[in-house]
Amino acid sequence: MLEDKKDGWKAAIALAPAMIFLVVFMFFPLVNTTIMSFMEGFQFRANAGIFAISHRYQGIGFQEYINVLRDPIFLTALKNTMVMVVISVPISVILGLLVSVCLNNIKRLQNIFQTIFFLPYVTNTIALGMVFKVMFSTNNGLINLIVETFGGDKIAWLTDATTKGYWSALFVITCYTVWSGLAFKILVFLSGLQSIDKQYYEAARIDGASRARVFWKITVPLLSPMIAYITITSFIGAFKAYESVIAVFGRGSYIFGPAGDTNMWITVVGYVYKLLPSLMTPGNLSKASAGSVILLLIILAFTGIQLYVSKKRVHY
Amino acid sequence: MEVVLKSLSKHFTDRKGNVAKALNDLDVTIPSGKLIGLLGPSGCGKSTTLYLIAGLHKPTQGQIFFGDSDVTNVPPEKRGIGLVFQNYALYPHLTVRQNIMFPLENMKMPKDEAIKIAQEMADLVDIGKLMDRKPKELSGGQQQRVAIARALVKKPRVLLLDEPLSNLDARLRLQTREEIKKIQRETGITTIFVTHDQEEAMSISDEIILINAGVFQQMDHPQKVYDEPANLFVAKFLGNPAINIFHGQIKTGVLSVNGVELDKGFKGEDRNVVVGVRPEAFYLDNKGKIEINVEFVEHIGRDITVVGNVENQNDSKVRIIIPSDHYNDVFDKSRLGFTPKRMYIFEETGERIK
Ligand SMILES: Nc1ncnc2c1ncn2[C@@H]1O[C@H](COP(=O)(O)OP(=O)(O)O)[C@@H](O)[C@H]1O
Ligand SMILES: [Mg+2]
Repeated sequence: MLEDKKDGWKAAIALAPAMIFLVVFMFFPLVNTTIMSFMEGFQFRANAGIFAISHRYQGIGFQEYINVLRDPIFLTALKNTMVMVVISVPISVILGLLVSVCLNNIKRLQNIFQTIFFLPYVTNTIALGMVFKVMFSTNNGLINLIVETFGGDKIAWLTDATTKGYWSALFVITCYTVWSGLAFKILVFLSGLQSIDKQYYEAARIDGASRARVFWKITVPLLSPMIAYITITSFIGAFKAYESVIAVFGRGSYIFGPAGDTNMWITVVGYVYKLLPSLMTPGNLSKASAGSVILLLIILAFTGIQLYVSKKRVHY
Repeated sequence: MEVVLKSLSKHFTDRKGNVAKALNDLDVTIPSGKLIGLLGPSGCGKSTTLYLIAGLHKPTQGQIFFGDSDVTNVPPEKRGIGLVFQNYALYPHLTVRQNIMFPLENMKMPKDEAIKIAQEMADLVDIGKLMDRKPKELSGGQQQRVAIARALVKKPRVLLLDEPLSNLDARLRLQTREEIKKIQRETGITTIFVTHDQEEAMSISDEIILINAGVFQQMDHPQKVYDEPANLFVAKFLGNPAINIFHGQIKTGVLSVNGVELDKGFKGEDRNVVVGVRPEAFYLDNKGKIEINVEFVEHIGRDITVVGNVENQNDSKVRIIIPSDHYNDVFDKSRLGFTPKRMYIFEETGERIK
């Protein structure tokens, strides 16, 4: 018993820095934000400290949640976010898996290919966005050049405020999201693939399994912990989409679309940012907080469902 | 199915261009329907040989025949072999039933038929009641049986076992090797059994193939290999305790160790030779030719092992086995006689002279 207690203390001391960090930068803001979201008409008061409760407000209640849920811009942001989640997550997970399996199978030039796929991992996301913006620019972008070579008409990828422009912009955003997130997925999948015992594959070969069966019956199940991990983190990441939109339009932190519709691809996080106080506007902190709490609840619900599903499906 | 290996070689080349000669010019014919032990020390190329027969490795040189057909370039799945890996390689996410059914599903066999055959096979190896368990819920011995069932279920022409007993405890090893022998007899499948354990190979095999450092040494009936080792390596590798080695000389056709004449009639120049005598060939004898300084005595129960050394034979200990009744006759210095039939004479290079 005495031993246990001693070890417990040692563990506590070792964990302390991380715990303090978590409390100060994660737990405290989370609680503060939640409190703020119930404080209607929140306003900063000079020298009132960091606790939300000691600042000025008009009432306590759910009013800001109602305001958020009735706000058409929030509904647009929520719809946009959902569309991006539903499209980009499956594409990026499946693509990451395929690329990893291919990379794992090639013997020659493996390092070069790995480097190519890891480039976005070490490149500034905004810089990467600039590259995308240039590539997809209407008049002399590389992509339109290719489209024209194959006899198509120029596409206004990022400058068209109509429905067509909505989908073409989604295409660019999805490409950007998938590409920028691919490196990490490949990193995880490749290390997972390399930890699978080669003998399973030799056994399967002798047992006469086709390539497709080897992939579905051996690789996927043995990689399922990584697949579950990547899927869950991708979902969470996609729900927090913001910088992908900012990066591809490349016209400032509050502009989510072409000139005609600057909220075209606004996301929930973008919506929250727009409500924060800045030099230009006093903002609306309680509304912003309510928006973030709603996003948090959605992410929690999705993650809960996925953890439940993966408990049944994942082989550890 | 007779398996013929014709001057089979496998050399591995690493990135720096270093060549590891895992197998060199192996020429053997493995008779149909027999259980053959492939025996040799660790790293001598046993697994490599097995993987070549399985088709998982491509030979650097040479050919492999199954019966009359050349399978050298036939892919593994078309060779009709079953392979039991050293660590079984059971699919961890599949149940026992799914593991055994896997090869059948690959052949697109209807499901109920596959279930039925898998059950029969599981019953044969006595795991019929564990069909819904995952491999990690099984003991080593049970996993091993699943691996055998999976290898046998598609009725292979050749069954390959790579050190199948090495992960089992001593008691289970004995029991399982008898069962493997029994299953092999019942199915009549040509079986190659790889092991580095000479006792295991001796007890289970119809014939033994000995390899050392990728080079063929001898192939024969287990008793023959023990009684008539082809060279010093084989003599040393078989038998527990190992054969006793003495350094001797041949002078004008007479063989002597420490100046004591042991045998005569040898041809060729005067030279140094190596004399091997099996431990069980010795007996206590006041007029015996060899005197040993006894270091200690080990009791095995039925027998005792006497360990000692001989003057001028500094590097080798002498180990003899005598019935335990003779315990009281062992003194600090004892003279030993031996049965000449169990004495083998080798050139210093290892070739057998007599
Ligand atoms: N894939 C490989 N690449 C390089 N060397 C190998 C490879 N497989 C085996 N070897 C070498 O070949 C020799 C024989 O190996 P192996 O057949 O596994 O021996 P064992 O008799 O213990 O089964 C060893 O020296 C081993 O290091
Ligand atoms: Mg081996």
